[in-house]
Amino acid sequence: MSRLRVASLLLLVPLVPQLVWGEDASAAQVQQWVAGRNVAAIRALGRPVLPKLVHLYESASDDGFKARVAQTFYELGWESPEAKRALMKDVHTQNQDLRLQVQWALGRVSNDQDVVDTLIANMRSDSNPLFRDKAACALAYDQIHLSEQQKVRLFGALIEALRDEKLDVRRIALTALQIQTGQTKGFEPGASWADREQKIRVWQSWLAQYKAGL
Amino acid sequence: MAELARTIQGGFVGSLVVFGFIGGSAWAQAQGAAGALVRYSFDDDLVDTGPDTFSVSQFGRGSVRLSTVYRFSGYRSVEIRDVAGDRNFPELQGYFPIRTEGKLYLHFAMMTTDPGEELNIALAGPQWFRLRKDGIAFWLKTANGYLTAISDSMPKKLFCMRAFVWYVVDATYDIDAGTYDLTIRQEGLESPVADMRGQANAASQPGSRVDKFSFIGDHDTDASNVVYYVDDVLVGVDEAIVHQPFAAPGRRKLFVDYWNSARRARAAHPKPLPMMSLADLGIGSAETAALRQNGAGELLGQILSGRLPEVPDDLPDPSRSILQSVIAWREGARALTDGDAELALARFDRASQLSPSAALSQMDAVMALANLARWDEVDRRLAGIVPQWRDDPRLPATLAIIGLARGDLDAVEHQLRPSAESSGLLAEEYFLTLLWKGDAARAETFAHTMLARGPDSERGLWRERLGDAAFLSGSIERARDYYEASLAEHPRPNSVWLKLSDVYFKLGDLEKERAFRERVYGSLRER
Repeated sequence: MSRLRVASLLLLVPLVPQLVWGEDASAAQVQQWVAGRNVAAIRALGRPVLPKLVHLYESASDDGFKARVAQTFYELGWESPEAKRALMKDVHTQNQDLRLQVQWALGRVSNDQDVVDTLIANMRSDSNPLFRDKAACALAYDQIHLSEQQKVRLFGALIEALRDEKLDVRRIALTALQIQTGQTKGFEPGASWADREQKIRVWQSWLAQYKAGL
Repeated sequence: MAELARTIQGGFVGSLVVFGFIGGSAWAQAQGAAGALVRYSFDDDLVDTGPDTFSVSQFGRGSVRLSTVYRFSGYRSVEIRDVAGDRNFPELQGYFPIRTEGKLYLHFAMMTTDPGEELNIALAGPQWFRLRKDGIAFWLKTANGYLTAISDSMPKKLFCMRAFVWYVVDATYDIDAGTYDLTIRQEGLESPVADMRGQANAASQPGSRVDKFSFIGDHDTDASNVVYYVDDVLVGVDEAIVHQPFAAPGRRKLFVDYWNSARRARAAHPKPLPMMSLADLGIGSAETAALRQNGAGELLGQILSGRLPEVPDDLPDPSRSILQSVIAWREGARALTDGDAELALARFDRASQLSPSAALSQMDAVMALANLARWDEVDRRLAGIVPQWRDDPRLPATLAIIGLARGDLDAVEHQLRPSAESSGLLAEEYFLTLLWKGDAARAETFAHTMLARGPDSERGLWRERLGDAAFLSGSIERARDYYEASLAEHPRPNSVWLKLSDVYFKLGDLEKERAFRERVYGSLRER
C-alpha cells in the first residue's frame, strides 16, 4: 500500500470509523475514544453506540474510567433507559469524580421521575455538602428532557426544599429555582421562618398559575 | 454555592460567529426614520454584517437565507431552517443601541411551515438569552403546535398556529415596568388572534434592558426541523414608526411595485439590476454546500459587501470559480454604475464564463451593451436569455429601460412600430416602453392590435399584458378579467397566477389571493 493511500485512510478514520473497523474492533475503539474524550467520534457512530457505552460502563472496574463514560453520556445528551439504569447504580457512590459525573449525566439521558426525585433527595439529604451542591447544579441545568408537566413537579420539589431546615439546602434550592426561572420572588434563605413562609406562598401561587396554563 | 454556576449556559448563543453570508445579500437597517432602531424589510441593498446590525449563525446543517419563495411584503423574506440532531441551530440575530428605559416597539411578520416544530423568537439585553434581569425580556416559542409566550418564567399558550399562514406580531415593551402588551394578527382575519395587556416580561424583571433580538429553531433539545420565514422586522422607540404603512397587517408589495420603484429610481440609463438571491449569481444549493465545505461562506459575504477584492490563492475549486465570478460581477456592476460600460461588459462576460448559470451577469451584460448602443447584440442576447427571466418581476422594467435607452422616445416608437408586429420580444419592449412613459391607453391599443394580429401562441401573453396595462392604470377589475381570460391560452401561467394573487389582494378577496399565491409557491409544502 502506498504511503499516500495509508495517509488517506488515516484521514478517514475519525470521520467514518464504522466504515473502517469491524464490530469488535469498534468496541475497542470506542473505549479509546472515551478515554481520550473524543466525543465527536463517538457521536458520529450514532445511537447504536449507546449499548456499547453502557457495557463499557458496567464492565469497568476503574471508577475513573466510569466517570469518563458518564461524562460521555452527558455530552451526547441522548435519552437512554439503559444508560439511566447503569448510572443510577452509582448515584450514591462516594467516589467524588464519579458521583459528580453521574449526577450531571442523569438528566441528560432520562426524564424519568425517579431521576429528579433522586437528585432532589441528594440535594437535601446527602451528608457531603459538595454532592448536595452538585445535585442542585444538575437540577438547575441538566434536566433537558423534561416536559412542561415534569418541570412543574421539579419546581414543586425545589419550592418545597425552600422549607428545608438546612440553610445551605435552602440556598442551593433557591439558586436552582433562580437559574431555572430568573426569579427569587424575594425569598431570602436566611430570613425568619415567617418571612420565608410568606415568600414560599408566593412561589406556590406562581406554580399554581404555571400548572393552570399548561 | 458559586460552584453551582458550573456552566453558565449561553442561552440561544453558545459562541457566536458572524458569517457575512445570508443567501448573499440585501439587509437594510433603518435609515432616516426617526424612532426606528432596527428595520429590515430584506428588499433593499447590501449592508455589512457587524455588531451594529445583525449576525447570522449557520453552524450545523441548518441555514439562514433570503427567500423569494415566501414573503410578507416586498420580494424577500428570511428563511430560517433548523435540522434536528446536528448539535446546533441557525440564528438570525440583530442588534440595536441598548435601551434602558421607556418603551420599545417590536414588529415582525412570521410564517412557519410546521407549527409542530419548535422555533424561538426573543428580545434580550446584555445578559443575553437567559431568564434573568437584562437577559430575555420578550420570548415567543412554539410548543406542541401552539404559539406560546414566556411570561413570568412560565409558558402561556396563545393560540394554535396554522402552517403557511403569516402572523404579524406587535409588542410594546415597557422597560421600566418590565411588562409588555402583545397583539398578533393572522393574515386574512380582522380580529387579532392574541391580544394581551400588561404581561410580565419573560423573567418578571422590571428595568430589564434590551439591545438585541434573535430568531432561531430550538436551542436545547436539538430536535427541531423547523422551516420558518420572517419579514418586516422593526424595532422602534416611537409607536408611530411601528404603525406606519410598512407595518400594516396584511400589506404586501405587489408585482407592479417593482415596476414603479424602478421607474422612479432609474431614469433612462441602463444600470445593473438589483440582486435578489444567490441564485442570480449561479449559486444554488450545490454551490452553497461547496462554499461551506471549503469554509468560504464568510469570504462570499465579504465579497458581496465589497470588502474582499481577490479570492485567496489557496482556495480550491469549485469555490474558487464561484467567488471569482462574484468578484467579476461586482466589478462589472461598479463599472456600469460609474459609466464605464466597456469595462462592465468585459467583467460581466467574465462572470458568465466562470459561472454560466449566473443569470444576473448575463442580463447585466445586456444592460452594458444597451449603454454602448450595440443594439443588434442587445437583441440577440436578450432573445437568448429572456425565457429564463419570464417569471421575474425585474423583467418588464428591464425591457422598458432598454427600450428607452434606444434613444429619443418618439424615435424609439418609430423604430419599433414597424417591426413590433413581427417580433414578439421587440413588440413587448415597445409595449413596455409605452407603459413606462405613462401612456397606458396607447399601450393597451397596441396590445389589442397584437392580440388580433399576432400569432395564436402569443394570445395568452398579450391578454396578460393587457391586464398589466389595466392594473397600472388602476383598473383592477379589468385587470382581473384580462388575467383570468389569459389563463386559458397562456403557455406559462405562473406569472399570471402571481398577478391574480395581487389583483385579489387589491380587491380584498384574501381566500383567492392565497389560492393563487399557493399555486405559484406550493412546492415548499413538499419539503
